[in-house]
Amino acid sequence: MKETILLTKHMRENPEDSHFIESYEKSNGYSTAKKTLLGSSPEKVLEEIKASNIRGRGGAGFPTGVKWGFLAENEERYLVINADESEPGTFKDRILLERDPHQLIEGIIITCFAANIKNAFIYIRGEYAKPARRVQSAVEQAYHNGYLGKNIFGSEMDLDLVVHLGAGAYICGEETALLNSLEGRRGEPRLKPPYFPAVKGLYMKPTLVNNVETISSVPWIVENTGEEYNKLGVEGSTGTRIFSLSGHVNLPGNYEIEMGSTFGDFVETLGGGIRSNKKVKAYIPGGASAPWFRGDQLNIKMTIDDVANNNSMLGSGAVVMMDEDTNLVNAAKSIVSFFAHESCGQCTPCREGTTWLEMILDRVASGRGRTSDLELLLDICDNISPGLSWPPKMTTICPLGPSAVSPITSLMKDFREEVESMIPTKVLL
Amino acid sequence: MSDNVKINVNGLQIESEPNKLLIEACEDSGIHIPRFCWHKRLDPVGMCRMCLVEVDTPRGKMLVPSCTTEVSDEMVVDTESEIVKKAQEGVLEFLLINHPLDCPICDKAGECPLQDQTMAYGPGESRFVEEKRHFEKPIPISEIILLDRERCILCARCTRFSDEISGDPLIEFIQRGNKTEVNTFPNEPFKSYFSGNTVQICPVGALTSTSYRFKARPWDLKSTRSTCNGCSMGCSIELNSSQNKMLRILGVDNEHTNQGWLCDRGRYNFEYLNSDQRIKAPLKKTESDREETTLQDVYGDLSKIIEDRSNKITFLLGSNLTNEEFTSFNEFSNQLGNNDNSIYLNEDLLFKGFFDENIENAKIEDLNKSDAIIIWAEDLKETLPILYLRVRQAVKNGVKLVVFGHTNSTLADISDVYYSGETVSNNFEIVKDISKLKEIKEHIKDKNVTAILGKASPSQSDKSIEKLFTYLKDNSNLRLLNAFNGGNSFGAFQTLGSVKGNREFSSEISKETTDLLFVVGADPVGKSIFSSNIKNIINEIPTVVALDLFMHETSELADYIVPTSSTLGEKEGTFTNIEFRTSRIDKLIPSPGQALSDWEFISGLSNFCKFEGMSESLTDLNNKSFDSFDLDTKPTFDNLDKPRNLDGIINTSIPKIITTDESIEFSDTFFVGKKLYGDKVTERHSKSISLLGSSQFIEGNETTFEKFKLNSGKCILVQENIEITVSCKINPSLPDGLIFFPKNRRNINKLDFSKNIQILPSHSMEVLNVN
Repeated sequence: MKETILLTKHMRENPEDSHFIESYEKSNGYSTAKKTLLGSSPEKVLEEIKASNIRGRGGAGFPTGVKWGFLAENEERYLVINADESEPGTFKDRILLERDPHQLIEGIIITCFAANIKNAFIYIRGEYAKPARRVQSAVEQAYHNGYLGKNIFGSEMDLDLVVHLGAGAYICGEETALLNSLEGRRGEPRLKPPYFPAVKGLYMKPTLVNNVETISSVPWIVENTGEEYNKLGVEGSTGTRIFSLSGHVNLPGNYEIEMGSTFGDFVETLGGGIRSNKKVKAYIPGGASAPWFRGDQLNIKMTIDDVANNNSMLGSGAVVMMDEDTNLVNAAKSIVSFFAHESCGQCTPCREGTTWLEMILDRVASGRGRTSDLELLLDICDNISPGLSWPPKMTTICPLGPSAVSPITSLMKDFREEVESMIPTKVLL
Repeated sequence: MSDNVKINVNGLQIESEPNKLLIEACEDSGIHIPRFCWHKRLDPVGMCRMCLVEVDTPRGKMLVPSCTTEVSDEMVVDTESEIVKKAQEGVLEFLLINHPLDCPICDKAGECPLQDQTMAYGPGESRFVEEKRHFEKPIPISEIILLDRERCILCARCTRFSDEISGDPLIEFIQRGNKTEVNTFPNEPFKSYFSGNTVQICPVGALTSTSYRFKARPWDLKSTRSTCNGCSMGCSIELNSSQNKMLRILGVDNEHTNQGWLCDRGRYNFEYLNSDQRIKAPLKKTESDREETTLQDVYGDLSKIIEDRSNKITFLLGSNLTNEEFTSFNEFSNQLGNNDNSIYLNEDLLFKGFFDENIENAKIEDLNKSDAIIIWAEDLKETLPILYLRVRQAVKNGVKLVVFGHTNSTLADISDVYYSGETVSNNFEIVKDISKLKEIKEHIKDKNVTAILGKASPSQSDKSIEKLFTYLKDNSNLRLLNAFNGGNSFGAFQTLGSVKGNREFSSEISKETTDLLFVVGADPVGKSIFSSNIKNIINEIPTVVALDLFMHETSELADYIVPTSSTLGEKEGTFTNIEFRTSRIDKLIPSPGQALSDWEFISGLSNFCKFEGMSESLTDLNNKSFDSFDLDTKPTFDNLDKPRNLDGIINTSIPKIITTDESIEFSDTFFVGKKLYGDKVTERHSKSISLLGSSQFIEGNETTFEKFKLNSGKCILVQENIEITVSCKINPSLPDGLIFFPKNRRNINKLDFSKNIQILPSHSMEVLNVN
C-alpha cells in the first residue's frame, strides 16, 4: 500500500521551511481562504464539508458537517481547536502544528467564515513547547499579513485567534474540560447534559470544538470540493488520515493514508514489519483508550466502522504493536497507571477506581497477585463501566474512567492465562 | 397543576413540576435516592455518583445521576434495579477504600451520611488490601475549623458553599485524581463569617469545629428547635446539649429566613452559657464591695422604693429579650402608672423607620422575586449576615442590586450600581438630585423593588434616608425592610408600640427623672456610642438594678444584680424578626444557680408589690403579646407548635410603631459601625470565638491615610486618658477623607464618639531604636 498525501504535502515538499508563511504562500497557501471569503458563502462551505463526509479526527469520529450544523445561533460564538494531543501513542497533530501551522490557520479562517465566528482559540498541550512556538509565530505572521484581525483579505470578516497553552493535563483533551481550562478553571469535564459545547460552551456561549487534523483538512476540501474528498477512502471513513504507528515495528512514524486497508497490510508495508520478524501478540488500534486486538486479528480494516464493529475504536489513529515477547500485564499496568495519574479526581469511580486497578495490577505484575484478584479487577472495571460492553456504559462523568478499563478487559478476555500464570500458586510465608 | 409532568418511578406514577431535578422529584414523592454531593441549596455537580439511577432512553436503559437530570414527561425511572444497586454498592466501596476506619473517635459517627448509607446500600465487606491514602491528620484551616483530609470524600459541598453561597472561596480542590484534596491557599486561612456551615453540610467527619470536637456523641444529644436572637434575622436553629451543657447549634432549613445557613457568630456564640463566670446568685452593693443576697431581699428592698409612688422608675431593656418579656415589662410599667415613655431599648441606631407609611413591609423572600434591590443601611454582612447571603442569592438569580455607600462595600463587587463618594457625602447625604441619577432610574422605574433601608451611620440624618425612600416610593412598586438589626428589636417595636433608644435615654434620663433604673440584659456603658454619658447617668441614679448573665461595665455599676437566664436555650418565648415573622424560642438546658427569666423576676416582684391584673404565666404573657392578632395567625405557643407553623408566623399587617427621628452631630471625617465579632460579654466568654473580634483597626482608603500621614500601617487613637494602638486597614471603597471605626471592638468601644479623637501616626520599632 502507498500513502495518499493531502495534509502532509506542503511539509514534505518543503522540509526546511514549511512552517513559514512565505513558504506556505509559495505552495498556494491562503489562496483557498481568500477565494472563499471574497467569493463564496458560509452555506456553500458547509455544503462542501457535509459532502466530504469527513468525521472528526480527535477520537470520537463525529461527522464534522453535522457538528457545525448543531452550533446554536448566538451573537457570540467561538471556535476552539483541540490541540491537546495527549493520548499515549498519538503524535499526528504534532507534525501538523509544528510543520504546517498555516494550513491549520487557513482551515480556521474558512471554518470561522462558515460558522460566522469572530473569536477562535488554539488550545495546545503544555508539553508541546516547540509546536506552540511555531503556531504562535505563524499566528503573528498571519496577523501581520492581514489574514487575521480586521477585514481579512479586504473582506467584511474579522477574526481574532488566540494560542493558549495547557498546563499538562490529559483530561483537558476532553472538550468540556478543555473549555474549563481555557476559562482559567480547573480542568474538569462538565456535565453533559446540559453543557454540550455547541449550545453552552466557552463562557457558556455556543462553541465549536474541533481537532487539529480535522480543521487542517478543511482547506483541501474547500479547494478540491467535498465530492473529491468523499471519493478517497471508503464509505463512512472518507478522506485520508494520519496514523501514528508505534510499538515493536521497524518503521514507526506518522503515515497519511486512505482508510480501508487492513492493519496487517499497514504494518507490513509502511511499518516495515515487526522487529526481528516476531509475531504480533496484541495491538492497540486507536490509542491507549481503545480495547486491544489480538495478533490474529490483523486482517481488520482500518475504518471507523470496521474497528467499531469489532468492539474497539479507531480513536485518534494511534496504532501500537506489541510483539510476542511483550508482558501484557505490564503493558496494561502502564496504560492504567497513565489513566490513574491523569484522572481529574472529580467523580468517585474514576478517582478511586483507576488508582485501585493500578495498585492491583502492580501487585500482580510484581508476583504478589492473588487468585481472587482476577475477578476483583473485572468487578472494579464493572463498577466503572457497567456491563463491560462496547461502546462503554459508564458510572463516571466522562469516558476517562472507562478508558482505563479497556486494557484490563482486553487482557482478561483474550490473555487470561497470561495473567493467571503471574499469580503465585503458593503463598510464601 | 396541569403543567406538571408525570413520571414513572419504580412502577409508581408520580407527578412533579417540570424541570425539577429527578432526585428532588423522587424525594417529594417519598422515594429516597442516596447522595453525598447533592445538597438542595447548592448547584448540582454530579460528582459522587451515589445517586445514579436507571432511566429509559431512546438508546436503552442508561445510568444517569439523578441530581443533574431534570424530569421530563413520561420518563421511566428505576431507582432500585440490580444495576442501580450494583452501581451504588460500587460507589460506596470506592469511597470507603481510602476512608479511614476511625469512626470510634470521629465526631460525625452516629449522624454520618457515609456511615448510614454504607449500612443501607454498601457492600458487606472490604476487598481493598492495599495501603490507604494518607494525609496529616486534622489541620486547622482557621481558628475555628479543622480539616481531616483522610476522611474527606471530595463531594465539594464545602467548596461550593464558599464559592456559591458565601462568596469567599477560600477553600478549593488542589492536586488532581487520587491526590485531590481540599485545602486553603498558602497562608490564607479559611477566615469566613460563614465557615461553620461547611462543617454542618460535610457528609463525613472531614470538617470539624473546635467548639464541638470530642464533646459528645450524637446519640447522647438532647435537641430542640429554637430561633437565634443574635440579630433581627431570626434564623431557625437546632440546639444540642448533653448533660445539661449546650454543645452545638445547627442551622435549620427555614425557606423564609436562613435556608439552613447560619453565621459563625450565631453558631458558635454559645459557650458562655457554660461559663463559670455566670452570675449565680443575686448580689447587693455594699459600701466597699458586693455581697450575695436572696431574691426575697431584693424584692423587699425594691418594693419599698416602688410603693413610694413619688419615685420614678425607668427601664433600659436589651434587645435580646423575648416578646413575652417585653410584654411583661410593659405590664409592669403600666402598673406603676408610668406612661409608655419609661421604657428604652439598648440600641444606638434607632430612627423612625418606615412603618406608618402606606408601604408594604417586604418579606425576605421578596428579595428573590423583585426586579431590583436597593440597599442603604449598616453593613449587612456585619450586622445581618444571613440577610447578606439572601441578597447575594437574589443577585445570583438575576435581581439587580443598587447599593449606596459607604457601609456595604462588601456588596460593591456584585452590585450593578454602587454609589460612592461622588454621590454620597462623607456625612451620608445624597449630594446629587436623586431623580437625575439615571443608573438607579433604569433599575427601579415602575419595577418591583425591595429596599433595605436603615441608618448607615449614627451621623446620617433621617432626612437623607427619607429622601431616597420618598423617591423609591414615588417611582417604583416598593416593598421595604427596615434594617434594624439588634436582636428582637422588631419584637420590641411590635409589643411596646413605641420605642426609644440609647440616644433618648442619654438626653432624657437623669437623677431628676429617675429614682429606680432597671437595666436588663444590656451593657450600654461597654457598648453604646453614648457610653460615657450613660455611665454618668447610671452613677447618679439612686438605685440601679441590673438583670444580667455576667458582670460587665454596666452591671458592675448596679446596686442590685439579679442573675438571669439566657434567651439562648435557657428560656421559652417567642421572637419576631425583620419581616415580622414570629417564631419559637425554646428551652433546652437549666439556668445556672438561682438565675431566672426576666419575666419571672418581674412576676415575682409584682406579686411582692401586690400588683393586680398582671399576667400570671408565660402562656398568658404570650397571649397578651399578640392581643390584637387574628386567631389563626396569632403566634401563640399552641399555634407555633403546629407542624405547619414551625417556620414561624408572619404578621402581614404592619403594626403602628413610633420610633424616634433625630440624628447625632458627628464630625464628617469618620463613621462608626458594628463588626460581626466584637467585645460583647457573651463573646468574651465563648472560648472558640473570643479572639475573632480581637483585632483592632480603623479603615480608610489610601488617600485618606496618606493625608493623615498614617501610611505606616499603624496608628494611635488618643482621647483623654485612653490611648489605643490600632492597625490601618485599607478599604478602597471608602471615599477620601472618611475613616471607619469598628465601635464594638475591644478598647475602641471605650472611645466617646461625640468627643474629639486624635489619630497619631505610630512610630515603628526601627524608629524607636534609632532614637
